[in-house]
Amino acid sequence: MWRAAARHLVDRAISSRAAHTSAGSKKIVGVFYKAGEYADKNPNFVGCVEGALGIRSWLESQGHHYIVTDDKEGPNCELEKHIEDMHVLITTPFHPAYVTAERIKRAKNLELLLTAGIGSDHIDLPAAAAAGLTVAEVTGSNTVSVAEDELLRILILLRNFLPGYQQVVQGEWNVAGIAHRAYDLEGKTVGTVGAGRIGRLLLQRLKPFNCNLLYHDRLQIDPQLEKEIGAKFEEDLDAMLPKCDVIVINTPLTEKTKGMFNKERIAKMKKGVIVVNNARGAIMDTQAVAEACSSGHIAGYGGDVWFPQPAPKDHPWRYMPNHAMTPHISGTTIDAQLRYAEGVKDMLDRYFKGEDFPVQNYIVKEGQLASQYQ
Amino acid sequence: MAAIMRAARQVVSALGPHALRDAPAGRSLHTASTGGGKKIVGVFYKGGEYADGNPDFVGCAEHALGIRGWLESQGHQYVVTDDKDGPNCGEHSITNLTFSLYMASATSVTLHYTRVAAELEKHLADAHVLITTPFHPAYVTASRIARARNLELLLTAGIGSDHVDLAAAAAAGLTVAEVTGSNTVSVAEDQLMRVLVLVRNFLPGHRQAVAGEWDVAGVAHRARDLEGKTVATVGAGRIGRLLLRRLKPFGCRLLYHDRLRIQPEMEEELGAEFEADLDAMLPKCDVVVMNMPLTDKTRGMFDKDRIARMKKGVIIVNNARGAIMDTQAVADACATGHIAGYGGDVWHPQPAPKDHPWRYMPNNAMTPHISGTTIDGQGVKDTLERYFKGQDFPAQNYIVKEGKLAGQYQ
Repeated sequence: MWRAAARHLVDRAISSRAAHTSAGSKKIVGVFYKAGEYADKNPNFVGCVEGALGIRSWLESQGHHYIVTDDKEGPNCELEKHIEDMHVLITTPFHPAYVTAERIKRAKNLELLLTAGIGSDHIDLPAAAAAGLTVAEVTGSNTVSVAEDELLRILILLRNFLPGYQQVVQGEWNVAGIAHRAYDLEGKTVGTVGAGRIGRLLLQRLKPFNCNLLYHDRLQIDPQLEKEIGAKFEEDLDAMLPKCDVIVINTPLTEKTKGMFNKERIAKMKKGVIVVNNARGAIMDTQAVAEACSSGHIAGYGGDVWFPQPAPKDHPWRYMPNHAMTPHISGTTIDAQLRYAEGVKDMLDRYFKGEDFPVQNYIVKEGQLASQYQ
Repeated sequence: MAAIMRAARQVVSALGPHALRDAPAGRSLHTASTGGGKKIVGVFYKGGEYADGNPDFVGCAEHALGIRGWLESQGHQYVVTDDKDGPNCGEHSITNLTFSLYMASATSVTLHYTRVAAELEKHLADAHVLITTPFHPAYVTASRIARARNLELLLTAGIGSDHVDLAAAAAAGLTVAEVTGSNTVSVAEDQLMRVLVLVRNFLPGHRQAVAGEWDVAGVAHRARDLEGKTVATVGAGRIGRLLLRRLKPFGCRLLYHDRLRIQPEMEEELGAEFEADLDAMLPKCDVVVMNMPLTDKTRGMFDKDRIARMKKGVIIVNNARGAIMDTQAVADACATGHIAGYGGDVWHPQPAPKDHPWRYMPNNAMTPHISGTTIDGQGVKDTLERYFKGQDFPAQNYIVKEGKLAGQYQ
């Protein structure tokens, strides 16, 4: 009897977590990275806890309750305290709150999961779908940011910039120490694994560098655009890899892509390949990458994504040779923060009014996952 | 005293009877060499441990552009060294030596003279051709030109011949030519990289990664996208245009300043706006990239006053020549934050001394001089071949010809 009642409650809970019904005051929880001493440096620094996306007074003036924290890990963290009664959870890939099935189950009032940025793999999407939640991200908000950053890392690794910078700050001067393994980007074969929004923006920025541009994706780009960009479609990923001097990862993290670049696939790449991954760390086999950098099979690996995040102090990618790693920053420039804060505000506004979001923003809607996650 | 003066005269005569005399004029280049090999001297950076097992690395002294076999098989002599600066080398060496003679005993005069001469010096007297590169520049001063009795041709493997006293070369009837190869593209790529490194605040993030840290805010609070920014190139010659072309898809507002305006069709294709007045352009810019040669006009042109005209928080990239900037003014502006980031691979002098302020100023993206070091061995070979045959070079390669300097150096 108890079980039947519980099931009935759960059914009611699922059906009533329809995000687009209007209601009174909501509890909104946001998990962002802390700025600390950097909080006051820039009024546009809205992406941090202290900046709170710049929407606190807007939310509070409408009678909503807004809690913002960076404390997301462990059973006693600040986030845990609000799981049971929050209506909306705003997360961000740069300091991701892992929204597990277990947390979803306990979040009785939860209706909406918003990602301030792009990439919602830190959420158990099938569990969210089964629970009737809506998941949405600010699609397009930082695609340009990430594409610029990928091109930067390609150049840093190919041109062997970092050893030169090291020499300078250490008082040294040894041109040969850099030049013996420094190359131009011009004339190289560059392949992007994934040619969605970011992949295409990258290809457009690569075009004047006069490279041989290849792309692999589930879908072929429209022929007109393909011709304009000057990139060739490669249907078979494993056939494309050995052709490339540079490989850039531009796929979301899904069940299909998790760990797809393992030891075997890395071995298919050209010896001396440059790999850039601003997509998700878990697409790569962490140890396989570290070993390939040590052996020199990978001549340079760069990116701003790791698994997990924040990366622990002893993560091997910090210490492998010839890397161009940073914390997860490429999509959280000041310009990107302003765009995704604006996008979150817009979706919250629509949510309060019971209106739909821009269709491209949905990751989970009415029990269905967006196609890239299927 | 008399003994010292006698010793001094002996030393001075050991330097060569005409050491202090004006060089003869009319060392005409483009007459075919009659009989006998030429002496070719090349000054390049040392490859050291990196030279082994890397045959493509032609630009280092050990691999000597890969043209030794070719030159020697034709009966020419080829001397290559990285040793270009003795402790008192350069145009002041004679003066310093003379001064030292008054102060020293005969014994120490001899020792001092031996210490002065770099390897390069030993070969100046009879070299016909001197090949230099900007990455490890042999400073070809007026006094060195005067002592180089047989010299006919100065070849710069790379772009920029300001390490040569061009006026003295012209007066001495020398030909100066550059072999740029693909360096223009190399430098343009490198400039765009440094713009992104600084605008996107990459280096603090990398430092965190290797130091075991994680502080997104520590990077993000001053990280910007390049998109939408106003980017200007000071100088729109070959490299400036290649840079503009690579900037185009980034969606910036592109400006350029130059003595000459780009053709309208190309201006439109590049999407860049001409700015006739440099000082009016500077305050508009989020990013400024230097793309002029070092000449008497451009030396020190970016001084404290001109830097002050730039927007607070400007990003500057200079892969042109260090001496275009006032060294201390740049360091001061980085320290105050008026310059939010300064990056480049050129310094004055080169190699940069251990205590050069640009190494230690905040928010720098400096490296040694590397952006164009893919030295074009084939291009040098082609140029030497024409020289041996008495043929002209491609017109755009001349820096000094028949007593005249190329337009950008006038």
